[in-house]
Amino acid sequence: MDAWVRFSAQSQARERLCRAAQYACSLLGHALQRHGASPELQKQIRQLEGHLSLGRKLLRLGNSTDALESAKRAVHLSDVVLRFCITVSHLNRALYFACDNVLWAGKSGLAPRVDQEKWAQRSFRYYLFSLIMNLSRDAYEIRLLMEQETSAYSRRMKVSGVGVSGGVETVGPGGPGTPGGSLPQLALKFRLRILLLARVLRGHPPLLLDVLRNACDLFIPLDKLGLWRCGPGIVGLCGLISSILSILTLICPWLRLKP
Amino acid sequence: MDAFIRVANQSQGRDRLFRATQHACMLLRYLLESKADKEAVVLKLKRLETSVSTGRKWFRLGNVFHAIQATEQSIQAADLAPRLCLTLANLNRVVYYICDTVLWAKSVGLTSGVNREKWQRWAARHYYYFLLLSLVRDLYEILLQMGQVARDRAKREKSSRDPPKYSVANEETEWLQSFLLLLFQSLKRHPPLLLDTVKNFCDILIPLNQLGIYKSNLGVVGLGGLISSLAGLLTVVYPQLKLKAR
Repeated sequence: MDAWVRFSAQSQARERLCRAAQYACSLLGHALQRHGASPELQKQIRQLEGHLSLGRKLLRLGNSTDALESAKRAVHLSDVVLRFCITVSHLNRALYFACDNVLWAGKSGLAPRVDQEKWAQRSFRYYLFSLIMNLSRDAYEIRLLMEQETSAYSRRMKVSGVGVSGGVETVGPGGPGTPGGSLPQLALKFRLRILLLARVLRGHPPLLLDVLRNACDLFIPLDKLGLWRCGPGIVGLCGLISSILSILTLICPWLRLKP
Repeated sequence: MDAFIRVANQSQGRDRLFRATQHACMLLRYLLESKADKEAVVLKLKRLETSVSTGRKWFRLGNVFHAIQATEQSIQAADLAPRLCLTLANLNRVVYYICDTVLWAKSVGLTSGVNREKWQRWAARHYYYFLLLSLVRDLYEILLQMGQVARDRAKREKSSRDPPKYSVANEETEWLQSFLLLLFQSLKRHPPLLLDTVKNFCDILIPLNQLGIYKSNLGVVGLGGLISSLAGLLTVVYPQLKLKAR
């Protein structure tokens, strides 16, 4: 009970719950349509999804300020790449929220002449840019960690001493003299990289969660902007998964990726 | 800026902001309704009020658990009178939120067989009881504070050794002045109590109007709602202004 009260006291938490519910409705609506459910039920699900979508827009009012504040804070990061990625991501998020506010004003009748389609496209574009910057930052973090892991491994091999000669022996038979050996060698290297990546991600849950969340979120603007048509089922599923992952980081703050 | 973000990050803070907006629209609408050339503005204010009112239901979802927790906490209060008032008040708040959730389910089309009018009346009634009991608790706290101030004053008078002045003329007026002075000093000494009393007093105008017990115009309800929302916001911004159970 205490955990729930503390959790739902954050306005972001309620927004994430609404989002999870919205995409769950989207997924459910798609499933019902495919399995030939009654039109009445489908209409009801669609209506609920619409209400959730509009409700979330109100919950997001004022988030632009928060995003700008985050961008301002990110400017002070020491790492140049991180500074760039995170700052630009937050700025795009601020613009996304601003567009979202305009859409809300249009839908609620405050500004009836708002071109919904145009502003929706704009909002999704900024959202897409934000996600791309997030994923770039994730990729950079992964590369740094992989390099660290490789350095640690090399150091361990050097200390043991036996590994060095073993390595030399391995390279010997597969030397430049054998032209056919390049392909298996490439496959081996690729597999090693994959294993290293898996190891790095397993060792850093916050990073893994952030990658998964951003990757799932990516499908939403891609579909809406027509860049990659996934269909409402996939979008619903991805939205639901990313919302649940967001809720996880709110419940367990140690799972949040620190800049 | 930081203060705003801190407020906006709490769902209660954000809800107060939207509530203040809602009731400000109501007040403005009342003030502008008589003007002939302001019809477009009045219509926009009405739309904004409706949108914010509908949207605020999202903030209240799940608040039933907060109210349940508050009920559990109020049972722990040491003093019997506040314990009773607060517990009953919070129980009414729980029922109010349940009614509110049912109304929300109706508005989004999840339930079809719900009588909106009936549930709205129930929600308003329990909200009214909640506020009434909160005011009773406030009154009790005020009386305690007044007693304290009176005792402090008596102590001070005793030490000063001034001869007491008696005047037969205007006895009633003097008593009233004395009472009001005492009340003023009590509330001045205890800002959380003043804030809570003002908030509850302004809030109670809303269900009184809805239930038809005391009919006010749109302006009074709007103004009351605005003042109570701002008072509520103050307690979110400055947690030390929140009235604690003794």
